[in-house]
Amino acid sequence: MFKDLNPILHSQLRLAVVSILISVKEAEFTYLREKTDATAGNLSVQINKLKEAGYIDVTKTFKDNYPQTICKITPQGVQAFEEYVRDLQSYLNIKK
Amino acid sequence: MEQEKEMTGQESLELITRMIKRARRDYLNSGLSALLWGTVIPICSLVTFANYYLKWPALDYIWLLTIVAVVPQVVIAVRERKGKRYRSYDEDHLGGIWISFGIAVWLLTFVFGRYPVNGEGAIYLTLYGVPTFATGYTRGFRPMLLGGLACWALAVVSLYCNYPYTMLCIAAGALLAWFIPGLILRKCYLKAKEKHV
Repeated sequence: MFKDLNPILHSQLRLAVVSILISVKEAEFTYLREKTDATAGNLSVQINKLKEAGYIDVTKTFKDNYPQTICKITPQGVQAFEEYVRDLQSYLNIKK
Repeated sequence: MEQEKEMTGQESLELITRMIKRARRDYLNSGLSALLWGTVIPICSLVTFANYYLKWPALDYIWLLTIVAVVPQVVIAVRERKGKRYRSYDEDHLGGIWISFGIAVWLLTFVFGRYPVNGEGAIYLTLYGVPTFATGYTRGFRPMLLGGLACWALAVVSLYCNYPYTMLCIAAGALLAWFIPGLILRKCYLKAKEKHV
């Protein structure tokens, strides 16, 4: 049924992360965890998958001596998200 | 959001909408900047009003308080930026608008106030600078950012010029703010168009 949908994005948590990152310029890992209600472990795994696909950039820095992970969507990620939404719309037969 | 389950198309769309709404509703601002300027400006205005009758020379300098207020403003801005766990696109847009507004107001208050005669060209150039600088800042487009700064520099220069030489300042301002960035944008646009044909 969903063979044509991008398998990287067609996952609940990964889609939630990309949807948030499409709305903001960049976000910290803790912010994404709070908004998605995911555990740190699971979120970390899914973020890595998105990173490997080239959909997001992950920067690790320090803030007040604590490690900080910042995620940002890449142009490739934006394109993939747009295509995913287009595919969904055509599947659901939603006219713009 | 722990158990991965097969989503229907409808569920996917709902999830996207929900997450985008969550991120957009997250606008939180301490309101301290608004309170600071909403306090300082009325104080300066009311003291100036009162001094119309009191005529105390020391109170003529009350508007210098706006320069002093820049210090807590910077502290507030840095703290708010540090405490945020995300950066939105709106922040850059609003940042460009407020910075250019601040520079324009500063020019009008502390520079142009001393030159009441040849101020017309300077006011136009100051206004040219506001959207140009804001656009350059927001888009990260340096030619327009520099064009906006050039307009404000030329606004100061024009104060020292008489008509019709102020027109030369205005011409230079428009060339630097719009014509040159326009040429660069046009070149990029045509290049991108060529790529997609």
